Amino acid sequence: MSKTVTRTRLAAVATAATLVALAGCSSSAPSDKASAASCTPAKGKVTLQYWNTVPGMDKVVDLWNKKNPDIQVQTKNISNDQYGTLGNALKAGKAPDLAQVGYDELPALRTQNAFVDASACSAATAAKSKFVPWTWSQTSFGGTGVFALPQDTGPMALYVRSDIFKKYGIAIPTTWDEYAAAAQKLHKADPSLDITFFDPNNAEWFNGLLWQNSAQMYSYSGDKWHVTVASDQSKQVADYWQRLIAGKLVRTDLANGSTQMYAAYQKDQIASYVGAAWGYSMFRDNLPRQSGKWSIVPMPTWGANGASGDWGGSTVAFMKGSTHLYESVKFNTWLNSDPEALALENQLGGLYPAADAGLKLPALSKGVPYYNNEKIFDVFADSSRKIDTNFAWGPTQKTVNLALQDAMAKAAAGDGTLTDALSAAQAAALKSMKAQAIPATAGK
Amino acid sequence: MTHIAPRAVTSGGRRRPGGGGPRAGTVIAFLTPFFLPFVLFYLVPVGYALWQSFRVVRRTGGQYGTSYTTFGGFDQYTQVFQNSEFWNSIGRIGLFGIVQVPVMLFVALVMALLLDTPLLKLKAFFRITAFMPYAVPGVIAAIMWSYLYSPQLSPVVDLFQRIGLHPDFLGPGAVLWSAANVSTWLWTGYNMLIMYSALQSIPQELYEAAKIDGATNWTIAWRIKVPIIAPSIVLTTVFSIIGTLQLYAEPAVLRQISSNISSTFTPNMLAYAVASGNNYQQAAAISVVIAVITFVLSFGFMRLTSKKAGL
Repeated sequence: MSKTVTRTRLAAVATAATLVALAGCSSSAPSDKASAASCTPAKGKVTLQYWNTVPGMDKVVDLWNKKNPDIQVQTKNISNDQYGTLGNALKAGKAPDLAQVGYDELPALRTQNAFVDASACSAATAAKSKFVPWTWSQTSFGGTGVFALPQDTGPMALYVRSDIFKKYGIAIPTTWDEYAAAAQKLHKADPSLDITFFDPNNAEWFNGLLWQNSAQMYSYSGDKWHVTVASDQSKQVADYWQRLIAGKLVRTDLANGSTQMYAAYQKDQIASYVGAAWGYSMFRDNLPRQSGKWSIVPMPTWGANGASGDWGGSTVAFMKGSTHLYESVKFNTWLNSDPEALALENQLGGLYPAADAGLKLPALSKGVPYYNNEKIFDVFADSSRKIDTNFAWGPTQKTVNLALQDAMAKAAAGDGTLTDALSAAQAAALKSMKAQAIPATAGK
Repeated sequence: MTHIAPRAVTSGGRRRPGGGGPRAGTVIAFLTPFFLPFVLFYLVPVGYALWQSFRVVRRTGGQYGTSYTTFGGFDQYTQVFQNSEFWNSIGRIGLFGIVQVPVMLFVALVMALLLDTPLLKLKAFFRITAFMPYAVPGVIAAIMWSYLYSPQLSPVVDLFQRIGLHPDFLGPGAVLWSAANVSTWLWTGYNMLIMYSALQSIPQELYEAAKIDGATNWTIAWRIKVPIIAPSIVLTTVFSIIGTLQLYAEPAVLRQISSNISSTFTPNMLAYAVASGNNYQQAAAISVVIAVITFVLSFGFMRLTSKKAGL
C-alpha cells in the first residue's frame, strides 16, 4: 500500500488538541501475553470486528461471511486516520478484534499494550510456514509470539525507461555504483534529464534503502533498546544519495505519487524510479502514454550484499481484548493465505501478498501488457525473498521518520547533509523513548 | 450603535421596575441545549488536556513493559520551554502574524469602506465574491493554491517563466508567505463582512451632518466611519491572532508539495507530530502553552486598544 498521505486523509486530520483530549492515560494492564491464553472455539455464532484501510476489503469479507455463517466479520474502513482511530479505541478499551497495522508501526503499538499474543492457538504458530520469512520475523517479533499475520509487502525494484537508456547507449545499472555512473552519463547526454528523484518527505522509502544495506536501526539486549539509526551502513546509503544531490544528479523537488511527479515523468525528465511492488499500477494508470517504455529490473545492489529492500506493506494484528482468539486466528489465516482471498485483495486493493501462496497467483505470474508483457512480478517475488530478515522496527519509528524527513528536507535545500539527518533522527528517537520511559541507549 | 465586541457581563443588570426576571427554570431550559455540549465537548476535553499535561509516563521493566502514568508536576512544561523547535515555531508564527494580520485587515477595511460608498454599483455581487473564499474549507483552499504554486503544474508560474522570471513560491524563504497568502485569501472577505455590517449600522444623519460641515467622502471614511467601527476592527484582529496561533491546515497541505515545511513548522503541527509519536502528555503541555499564549496575546491586545476603541 502506498504510504503517502492522501489528500482526503489530510482533510480528516484531527487537530492535536482533540488528539490529546481523546488520548487517555493507560491504566496498568496485564502484560500482552494473552492473559487467558484461551484458544477454545466459541459455542454458537461469533461476530468479529476487523478495521482496515484496504480498498475493496469489504468484498473479501463478504466472501468469508458467505462461507462461514458461524463466524461473521464486520469491517470498518479507517484509512482517514488509521493510527489515531486505533490509538483512541485502545485507550477507550474498544479496540476491534483485528486491525490493519503497518510493519513499521507494530513495535510502537506494542509499547501501547495494543496486541494479544495468539500463540496459544496452534493454528497461529503453524501459519509461519505460509509467509515470506522477513514478514514473519516482524509480526512474531523475532519469534517471541504471534501478534499479527503479514498481509502485504512492498519488495523494491528498479523501474527503468529502457528506451531512454537505449537511446544514450547506457547499460541498465545492477549496482549502486553503476547507477551513479549512469546518472552522470544521462545528465551529460541531456542536462534536463535526471536518473531519478529523491523525495526528502518520504522516510518510509528511505528506510527501505537503509534496510537493503542491512542497516539495523534498533536492537534489544541487556534490558535496553539500542538505537543505531546513524550506523555505518546507514551512513553509506546517506552519503551515496548526498553525493547525487550535491552533484545535482537527482531531482529533490518532487513528492512521490504527486501530480508534479507524474508531470515530470510525462515530460521525459526522469529515466528511472526506485519503487515497490505496489507501484506498478501507479505508472500504468497515471502514465498510459508511456506504455511499453518501462521495464522493471532488480534493485541495484551494494557490492557483494545482494539483498533487496522493502517499502511499505501491512499486517493484520490481533488486538488486545479480542475475546474470540480461535475465530480471529481462523479468519486472519484465511484472509492472508487463502489463494481465493489473496486474488481478490490483489485485484481490488492492489495488494502484493506476503504469503508464498500469493506470489504464485495466476494474476502475478502473467506478463503485464504495460511493461512490454514482461513478467514483472517474478522480479518482485525474487526481491521479496532477498529481504533481510534481521531488520526490525523500533517503538519510536514515527518520530524517527518525522525527524528524518525534516532534516532530509533541509539537506535537499543545501542546509546540512543526509548523514546529519540520521544523527537528528537518532537523537529524536532517544528523546522520544526517554519521554515514554522506554529504556534505551545510543549505539550497540 | 451596537457593540459587537464581547463585554464583561456585569451581574444584576437593570431590572424593569415591578417586573420580576424570568424564572430560573425557564432560563435553565433555554440554556441547557447550549451548555450541555459546551461542557461535554469543550470544557471536559480542555480539563482533560490540562490534567494530562501534568502526567508523565512510567513503564514496568522489559522490552515491552506495560506503561502507566503518574503525576509529574511541571515536568512536561519544562520540556516545552526547553524545546527549541517549539520556540522556532512560535517565532515563525509571530513573523507570519505581524505581517499577515495587518495586511489582511487593512485590505478588508478598504474593501468594506468601498462597499459602503453610494457610488458603487453591483454591491451584492462584490460582497458575495469577496466573501466566497470563506465558504471554501481551509484544506481545499490550500490544495487549490498548492496547484498554483507548483512549478510543474501552475499556469501562473508558467506565465512568469515565459517573461523570464523564475519565482519559487515553495522555496525556503517564500513558503511561509505562500501560506500567508492562502490565509489572506481565505479570511479577507470574512473580516470585510464583519466590518461592513458594522458600517451598515451607522446612522445616515451623521454623514449628512458631516457633509453640511464640508467633509469630503475621504474625511467621512477616515474620521467618522473608521473610528465608529473600531470595535469590530479590534474584534477581527483578535480573531486573526487566535487563528494565526492555531495555523495548521495551510502549511500541512503545502507540506505535501514543498520540502521546506517541516513537521514542526507551526506550534499546532509540532503538537500533532509529538502526539503521533505517542507522547500524548507532552502534546497536551504544548497545547496548553499555545492556549495560554493565545489568551495572553488576544486579551493583551484588547486591553491595549479598548480605551482607544471605546469599548
